[in-house]
Amino acid sequence: MHDMSNELTTLPKATKKKKSSTVIEVDDIGFSYDHGKTETLKGISMTVPKNQVTALIGPSGCGKSTLLRCLNRMNDLIDTAKITRGAIRILGQDIHAADVDAIELRKQVGMVFQKYNPFPKSIYDNVAYGLRIQGVKKKSVLDEAVERSLKSAALWDEAKDRLKDSALGLSGGQQQRLCIARTIAVRPKVILMDEPCSALDPIATAKVEELMLELRRDFTIVIVTHSMQQASRISDNTAFFYLGELIEYGPTTQIFTNPSVKQTEDYISGRFG
Amino acid sequence: MQPGEHILSNFNTALQELRETTLIMAAGAQRNLQNTINGLLERDKQLCNQAIADDEDEDQLEIQIDSLGLQIIVRFQPVATDLRMVIGAMKTATNLERISDQAVSIAKRSRKMLKNEEVPEVSRIEGLYQVAAGMLADSITAYSDSDIDLALTVVEREKTLKKTHKTTSRFFSEKLETQTGHYRDYLDLVLICRWLDRVGNLATNIAEDVIFETTSADIRHGGELPPELLEGNNKPEASD
Repeated sequence: MHDMSNELTTLPKATKKKKSSTVIEVDDIGFSYDHGKTETLKGISMTVPKNQVTALIGPSGCGKSTLLRCLNRMNDLIDTAKITRGAIRILGQDIHAADVDAIELRKQVGMVFQKYNPFPKSIYDNVAYGLRIQGVKKKSVLDEAVERSLKSAALWDEAKDRLKDSALGLSGGQQQRLCIARTIAVRPKVILMDEPCSALDPIATAKVEELMLELRRDFTIVIVTHSMQQASRISDNTAFFYLGELIEYGPTTQIFTNPSVKQTEDYISGRFG
Repeated sequence: MQPGEHILSNFNTALQELRETTLIMAAGAQRNLQNTINGLLERDKQLCNQAIADDEDEDQLEIQIDSLGLQIIVRFQPVATDLRMVIGAMKTATNLERISDQAVSIAKRSRKMLKNEEVPEVSRIEGLYQVAAGMLADSITAYSDSDIDLALTVVEREKTLKKTHKTTSRFFSEKLETQTGHYRDYLDLVLICRWLDRVGNLATNIAEDVIFETTSADIRHGGELPPELLEGNNKPEASD
């Protein structure tokens, strides 16, 4: 595996100005969907820096979405799935430690999915949902959080006059940005995005990408994408996976101009499928 | 690292067409330079006219290469080696077009000189021509074969070029001062020296672009080749 230890200290100038601390440490993680018989992830080690966008790329079945779902223990919901080795630490805390509650973890590590999935409720109620289940009832607090979240998700101007309307009446791109607003309402540390633009048109995609670049000032973002152009446009670092292994991880500029590993070059330039 | 074929066959075809067109243009620039110097040394006006006329082909090829490069960028969004290859071809085309322009300048001056009695020392220009034309030939071979070693020798020969240019140019300058009867011809020869020096510089640009295209190392303006490339002059295979 290509050694990443020095790569993140040699980020391009644009991202080097602010020294980044590590938010996520993936340490030799192995993962299986079938009680450990076969490993879908084979000893992945990488670190994700704070306030940066890290893209996970690779062909279907390479394990990138599996790794993403490991980061907030979404795979716990699958009976036969198990971590076979290694550890994942978020802000220094082992997320599989006995005293870590998966629900609490997911408040810290929010997720946006490929298919936008607002609840069949009003725009306001969608954004306030996370806070309400945390026990927040005071209207002024909820109002402030809804406005802040919708503004952060660049949806406030479009939604402020229709907060009580059904979220399902929004366009696809607006619904995805609403899901992002819902995620950031509970102020997570990390936002995981699993192909968030794959169902959106180019304009809506551009708005979500612009939003991601804004959000990284306050959040650490990990995104799975099949779009090489999207990875190169929005991410600071890119990790390439193949058959459950991390093949190369480095600054996005380097990965897309001069990758070190032939498999990476072949994949990003469309040389194998 | 030798990348394989693209899944999209028309991407392969487009890159191949770009490379082949650039090589056709390179052959044209070389031929124009050769014709122009032969025209001067052999006092053959026809060869000079040929070089001037053929420059039009080089201009059109430069436009064609830029267009092909843009089409590839728009249609296939090349990255890594492919992107460097496209940029390399477009920059090489610009350098080749300028080389052909230098050949035209030499041809026009030569044509003027042919109207006068031959200057006996004109053959002194051949040494400088050999250095510049040798650099051009090797830079084109380096481009064609992605040969970093050969490209590096071109870059290194720029010192020889400078030295030869200085010596030859000084010789004609001195003649210009003393042989007043032929002063216009000697002045033309001083200018031809400068244009041949420029050909060598442009060949160096091509060689530097070959190194960038092959390794992504930018050695222009004093930039250094990474140590691992200096030792083996080949891109290292990264370990998994």
